[in-house]
Amino acid sequence: MTDTPLRDVGPAAAAGPASQIRRRRSRRMKALFPYLLVAPAVIYLLGITLYPGIYAIIQSFHAVKFGPWQPVGFDNYVRLMGDYQFWGALWNTFVIGSISLTLQCVLALILAFYAYRDPWVQGWRIVFLVPMLFMPSAVAFIYKLSFLDARVFSDLLQRIGLIDGNLAIQSSVWGSRALLILADVWQWTPFLFIIFVAALQGQDEEVEEAARLDGASWFSIFWNISLPLMKPVIAVALILRGIDITTMFTNVFIITKGGPAFGTETISYFIYRTGFKFFNFGYASAASVVMLILTIIIAQVVVKRAFVSARN
Amino acid sequence: MASVRRKKGENLLVRYLILGGWALFCLVPVLWFLSIGLRPRTEIITPQPIYWPTFSLDAWHMIWEDWPMWQYLRNSVLAILGSVLIDLVLAIPAAYALARYEFRGRDDIAFYILSTRMMAPAIVAIPIFFLFRNLGLLDTIWALMLVYAAINLSFVTWIIRSYMLDIPKELEDAARTDGASDLRILWEIIIPAILPGIITAAVIAMIFAINEFLFTLLIASTPDAYTMSMALANFTGGSDGVIYNAIALVAFLAFLPVFLVVVAIQKHLSRGLTMGAVKG
Amino acid sequence: MARIELQNVEKRWGAVVGVRDVDLDIADEELVVFLGPSGCGKTTTMRMIAGLEDPSEGEIRMDGEVMNEVDARDRDVAMVFQGYALYPNMTIYENIRFPLRMRDVPKADQDRLIREAAAMVELEDYLDRKPGALSGGQRQRAALARAIVRKPQVFLMDEPLSNLDAKLRQAMRVQIKHLQRQLRITTVYVTHDQIEAMTLADRIVVMAGGSIQQIGTPDQIYRDPANTFVAGFIGSPPMNLIEGRVEGGTFSAPGISVPGLSHAEGRAVTLGVRPEDCHVAEGAAHLTGHVYGIEPTGDMTYLTVKAGDKLIEVKADRDFRADLDTPQGVTFDMDRLYLFAGESGERIR
Repeated sequence: MTDTPLRDVGPAAAAGPASQIRRRRSRRMKALFPYLLVAPAVIYLLGITLYPGIYAIIQSFHAVKFGPWQPVGFDNYVRLMGDYQFWGALWNTFVIGSISLTLQCVLALILAFYAYRDPWVQGWRIVFLVPMLFMPSAVAFIYKLSFLDARVFSDLLQRIGLIDGNLAIQSSVWGSRALLILADVWQWTPFLFIIFVAALQGQDEEVEEAARLDGASWFSIFWNISLPLMKPVIAVALILRGIDITTMFTNVFIITKGGPAFGTETISYFIYRTGFKFFNFGYASAASVVMLILTIIIAQVVVKRAFVSARN
Repeated sequence: MASVRRKKGENLLVRYLILGGWALFCLVPVLWFLSIGLRPRTEIITPQPIYWPTFSLDAWHMIWEDWPMWQYLRNSVLAILGSVLIDLVLAIPAAYALARYEFRGRDDIAFYILSTRMMAPAIVAIPIFFLFRNLGLLDTIWALMLVYAAINLSFVTWIIRSYMLDIPKELEDAARTDGASDLRILWEIIIPAILPGIITAAVIAMIFAINEFLFTLLIASTPDAYTMSMALANFTGGSDGVIYNAIALVAFLAFLPVFLVVVAIQKHLSRGLTMGAVKG
Repeated sequence: MARIELQNVEKRWGAVVGVRDVDLDIADEELVVFLGPSGCGKTTTMRMIAGLEDPSEGEIRMDGEVMNEVDARDRDVAMVFQGYALYPNMTIYENIRFPLRMRDVPKADQDRLIREAAAMVELEDYLDRKPGALSGGQRQRAALARAIVRKPQVFLMDEPLSNLDAKLRQAMRVQIKHLQRQLRITTVYVTHDQIEAMTLADRIVVMAGGSIQQIGTPDQIYRDPANTFVAGFIGSPPMNLIEGRVEGGTFSAPGISVPGLSHAEGRAVTLGVRPEDCHVAEGAAHLTGHVYGIEPTGDMTYLTVKAGDKLIEVKADRDFRADLDTPQGVTFDMDRLYLFAGESGERIR
């Protein structure tokens, strides 16, 4: 990057006012400049959001299999509204996502609360960070191996005498959901933990000390002072985590393939399966458009507010 | 810093039971990964799980000898570094404009950039698949590079913007009266001053790019464009079933450099992960 | 090296007016201080001269040339900031070199100029350090060196001393004035500290609420304040301002009665008298009240007398002592009384 675009031809002299060449930049150029700076990024992002969005909308009104596109009007949407698998996928996404997010949030808060003023807080942070830094696809494979193929969990429970015979995780909807949730909690609780610890450390100690002098117990300090102060941070962190959880794909693809009986099929996996397994692109696009609309609504209502308040 | 003094009513035993318990929960599976990576194939899926396997470098040999691992590694590194570079080139000027200039629509543009982060990959997967197919970019690392860059651009822009907002305006005013142009101020004053933020953004973008799965799955269908994560998914080795020990070992090898880099930027991590909403 | 003219300069942000209708002529080589409380528009006015803000209205000229459309970087002004604004990633040497590099000064000259500038502010031994490794006073001097190295047409200084402790501030004040005389560069200096203004300025521009209250030499400003604002802002402690009425040639307010006035008969006025023109009285006095506070400082004693609900500051002899709440009379130096119109605050006498 150089400054050539704005550089003038004449070299400005350092001393001697007589030789001074004064560049005049028009107001219009000045007003345009910030737009020029953001334009490349915005155009790039439009390329991966607006273009696919429009493409998906158009495609969703067509039947697209291998051959040419057949316009079908609202058929895809009508069918989608009556598709129990689509509604099931929405429901699964919601159930798995909300349980997982709640668990992660509560665990991260408890851990952060105990860790943030511990003398070894740096050490805890590094240790807790470890799961987050493994490739999610590898984690998914190992969880699949340990719980499904090699049945380690089931074996351990048998050894300590909690159950007789093998645990049939694979054939149980809730068992499979629990497995997805466990893998997500193991890997991503640190994300929230790191953020919460930083937020707690950033809080003004004097407020806490004043509260302690006023006779508040540690729990009531946490509940009445620290936690409310953290609210905007918690909101931002949960939104970011929530986005990733509701778009969960990798673990479903590797561990459960959406089964058993579509009980763990998330909306991302539904779109993938419809499009790339059954090559029913028009129908998959209709589902994408519905998701897109939901995303925009959520972004406008929830996210905007959270990020604005966190910045203040 | 944290005070060591015991707070009234808070039991240290409870604190260390909870923290220690979670540390075990984090680390025991990691040791289990390692034990899988270093055991022979015959001891992976057995009627009874084997907890003390025989040590074996089977997986190590298989990775390097039976698979074009260097090529996968090269693909990963090129696609990821390229994407981070694209992100920085696009994000730094954009972040600068959003942090420093007053212009109509600024907040809307900032929010639009943020909101692309909320888009589920699956929503745009089909059009992007066709886009790359039409451009003839399917199965190339160029496509991966472009996609990774797109996924991370919002994150990177917001992180860098947050660091730029912290730089005193005076510094720029000084440079301007000293005779520097806007772009030179950005290049010589701002960028050096926020280098930690830029590095943080790059590291986080790198991690997300490594983790990306869906697009990689769609775009890379032959070893030409396989990245490490795709290679893992394809260690299914046909009739051999999933080759878990190779997966575990590769995961471990990929983990080590990432871990070192992240420990190095630890201080900035919380700020980066929240796109600057939390100042760590 | 340059004459600066401001003509009807105004700055608005939407409906907010930051600076209104400023007319000012700064002579070549003059040191002008903008003085006023925070938010009075002094910094904004300076930033418009620098080119860091565009005026909404009016013209800014340097040596007769209109500057409104000229970029800050081309105005050949150097600015020193309150927070020093040293580039944290560069050494002091590189900091001082930066303006030379930006102006394409030949490499061969750069080193000599840098060392000269550093010598002027006695910073030769610190050139290799980063700003973070310097004390506040050293950073201030480094910022000065960066400003003087390229011998600009105009110096602009925005509260450059307000982050320093009192002792250092006094030393730096002397150094700045000395440098300015030596280099003969037109200088605008912004401060809220009236002592700085009085000691440094050739002329002071007192500003309040976005407009100029008075322009004059320090002596003029001190002796002939144009209105109650200037009177109350200059002097330490500031002038006592007492609201009351003149009836039959006598100014009266609760506890205060000053006869023998020939102005403003029958009008509401504000009487102004500086603490140094108030004297402790034994018998008959212009003012009778009670001792409210007494602060011996060694070389003098500050006495505060409460008359009615008004607190009057008196600079008394260093040996003066009194108990709190004892009755106390004060006389004013009749030759040094000021009268201001009650409503407008404009000076009458």
